[in-house]
Amino acid sequence: MSAVAEETAGAGYIRVEGLSVSYDGVTPAVTDLDMEVRKGEFVAVLGPSGCGKSTLLHVMSGVMRPQAGRIEIGGHAVGGSAAADSPPIGYVFQDHRLLSWRTVGQNIAIVLQAAGVSAEEINERIDRYLEMLHIDGFRDTWPMRLSGGQRQRVSIARALALQPAVVLMDEPFSTLDEVTARLMRQQLAELWQESGHTIVFVTHSIREALFLADRIYILTKGPARVFDVAEVPIERPRRYEDPKLTELEGEIVDRVLGVWGIGGKP
Amino acid sequence: MALTERLETARVEPASRDRVRRAQAFVVASLIALGIWQLATLISDGWVPSLARIFTAFIEDATTLEVWGQIWITFRRILISFSAATAIGVVLGVAMGLSRRITAFFRPIIVMGLAVPDPVYIIVAILVLGTEESSGLIALVIALVPFVVNIVAGGVRARDEGLDEMSTVYRLGRRRYIIDVVGRQVAPALLAATRTSFAFAWKLIVLVEAMTQPEGIGAQIYYSFRLLRPDHMISLALLFILVLRLVEGLAFAPLERKLLGWMR
Repeated sequence: MSAVAEETAGAGYIRVEGLSVSYDGVTPAVTDLDMEVRKGEFVAVLGPSGCGKSTLLHVMSGVMRPQAGRIEIGGHAVGGSAAADSPPIGYVFQDHRLLSWRTVGQNIAIVLQAAGVSAEEINERIDRYLEMLHIDGFRDTWPMRLSGGQRQRVSIARALALQPAVVLMDEPFSTLDEVTARLMRQQLAELWQESGHTIVFVTHSIREALFLADRIYILTKGPARVFDVAEVPIERPRRYEDPKLTELEGEIVDRVLGVWGIGGKP
Repeated sequence: MALTERLETARVEPASRDRVRRAQAFVVASLIALGIWQLATLISDGWVPSLARIFTAFIEDATTLEVWGQIWITFRRILISFSAATAIGVVLGVAMGLSRRITAFFRPIIVMGLAVPDPVYIIVAILVLGTEESSGLIALVIALVPFVVNIVAGGVRARDEGLDEMSTVYRLGRRRYIIDVVGRQVAPALLAATRTSFAFAWKLIVLVEAMTQPEGIGAQIYYSFRLLRPDHMISLALLFILVLRLVEGLAFAPLERKLLGWMR
């Protein structure tokens, strides 16, 4: 656990209570979901494809409204009337969602301008976070000139440069090749240890969740509900090839097989 | 030849060869068109003016100050109607692209607007508002708006909704969302809409001026027609086309480079 997390451990910085979400008002995507994330904690949300993980992040970010339940981040209700006063949220989407007509620097700048950051500070933060993500030579490059991994780094730099209260990450490495994805996971783990951000990381990869997170919320097959919460008792820095990860991965596979697998009951 | 030199030549040759081929095609097509025209002159017993007559009329018109005054009058009218139609069309098109309710309200009107032949607007405007300059301009704006709305609304509807979510999450605000997110996605459609509306404005203004106005290039073309001077009809049209090409080169092309430069 990072230094920041240790200081504030115990306090539920993100609280999700009795959350139910449906796209059409009939078919539930998320049902009666409870979750609590401490400040500075790295939490992974693990579930099979299509179970409603992304929907959960959509609601946490305020893009969607739930049918029932509530979400609080830092004491502010998400999607409530005072949503504009709530702390900023960084979001790293599955695809980069950069504005193709803005350079890398301008993509970060627009988010900071909207947050009311001064021009001088914007300039400084762009340089700092691009350097942190090892893409400092691409400030004036168009996104379409970058590789998939570089674009995702820009997306992460944009989220972190906002210095948000919470960073939500929706399978950010799932579209990358395995080597790039491993490198990015490694860098994310290091970045998190340095910055102490509160991160909610959605993934369907058990190993990825084990490598990155302090705790893992394991969801059922859709509609999403919390099936189990697993602690990850492995010291940092971690190695992706660590045999302990393999062992824990096997344990989780055994636990979820009946729930995710064919014929399993949630 | 050194290897690097050969590589340079290999890299440059296809582009330059392509340019030469295009220039050759242009010259051949132009010569064929001019040949057909000259043939038509011979067959029509002089009713189709010869290239020499058109050229003489063109020089005469291009060196007459009054003709440039007429060009300015038409150009001003195009500019007014085009600007008004583009402004209304873009606002309405963006609103329709973003809201299903607004689309439901305006769609039948736009569909009808697209179906009505343009001269009908001009005739109705003359009947209702008389032969004032403003009636022609209003008719033009009404004829152009549905085209602009249709293109812009289609562009807005086809936007990337993932960027809408990004804008919401990062609280970009309405102004930034409309200008930086939606506006830039619609830019190619918007450029197409402005070009279309400019070209339509020119085609219709000639009709409006011929029917209702004593001044303007359309009126002059009609005047030449009544005096049986087809060479001047064609030379006036050519002169104005040159002005429009100039607008394309000085306004639309740089705007396109600025808005769509990131695509290259």
